[in-house]
Amino acid sequence: MPLLRMKDASFVNASLRAGPVNVDLEPGCRAALRLGAPQEATAIALLAAGVAKATTGSVLIGDFDPRVQSVHCKRLAAFVPHEPLELDDGDFLRYVGYRAALWNVDAAAARAYSQELRERLNGMHEAFAFPLIGALIAQPQLVVLDRPQAAYAQRILAVLQGRALLSTHVQAESASAFA
Amino acid sequence: MTARALGAMLQARLYVSRRFLLYACAVAVFVALVAPLGVTAPLLCCSFLSIAIALDQTPGRHRHLDRCEQSAPLFGRELARAKALVPCIAALLATLLYACAQVARGSPDAPLTLLVVPPAVIATTLVALSATVRTGATRVLYVLLAAGTSAIAYVLAIVGRSAAAEFAFCVLIAFLALRQYGETLARYDPI
Repeated sequence: MPLLRMKDASFVNASLRAGPVNVDLEPGCRAALRLGAPQEATAIALLAAGVAKATTGSVLIGDFDPRVQSVHCKRLAAFVPHEPLELDDGDFLRYVGYRAALWNVDAAAARAYSQELRERLNGMHEAFAFPLIGALIAQPQLVVLDRPQAAYAQRILAVLQGRALLSTHVQAESASAFA
Repeated sequence: MTARALGAMLQARLYVSRRFLLYACAVAVFVALVAPLGVTAPLLCCSFLSIAIALDQTPGRHRHLDRCEQSAPLFGRELARAKALVPCIAALLATLLYACAQVARGSPDAPLTLLVVPPAVIATTLVALSATVRTGATRVLYVLLAAGTSAIAYVLAIVGRSAAAEFAFCVLIAFLALRQYGETLARYDPI
């Protein structure tokens, strides 16, 4: 059974029309979606992570519908934003503690795991590594990346091995790096 | 929502707004040192600061915190309560410093300030919070409603000389405003 199922899912408001998108993503698999504009990519990524609700069509994360069971969806899926996160070392530990508290993860375990991930992502710019590490603290089954950097594709894919991954892109070469 | 998550949210929000909070407290102390005696100045000053502090919580000003909170497994009403606490604490801190500056100045109004201003500040903050999740004319309307709340609190407390009536009015408005903010945040689309 798919971990993420998007059927004709679209998001429409006064200034944006994103989708419709169809995705069936099995646990442990990955998919890279190429979209026309950065705002569309962000909107589809937020739909896939259960953060935003589809205007038309349907999205299911596990067995849950983000429209009515968004909390359950957010326990399964993690969203990694495109924007870099500028933090120094002290702020990073504070950030890990903050994420661990919001997701109710043991603080010591979160710190140890984030340190391990930091070593595995060695060489990746911290501003892009920190949001990914923060998203993985809660051990999500599905990770949604909004326009990840193609230059870090190998490292990101290595860290995310075993989890379902959906990434959104604007450029073809970036999408092919994560496909 | 666990107490730990609530504490983490408060800490993170106050931390990213620390500079703004510092300026607000500095303004409160400065006005307390130069304003005429009485409770009118603290009520108006702290209400104005509480609107500014509430507007600092507008989505997009601290984008990563917004995204973390939106993607965390929390219900909309829990998020609303936690987010509402942040500007309330900040506004109350500014009010407390205002009263401290009044004491330092030798003004006899500090106890009355602490009795009359906090309810008005909390109600004003909670009404102004609804402006943060709106844009355009509706946003302006909520800011005006917040200003109107502090104006009515002023009339009840200072002109009508009834702190109890002001307190009852502020409790009612704060309750309605928090419910309204929770409902709006539950429906709020982060795109």
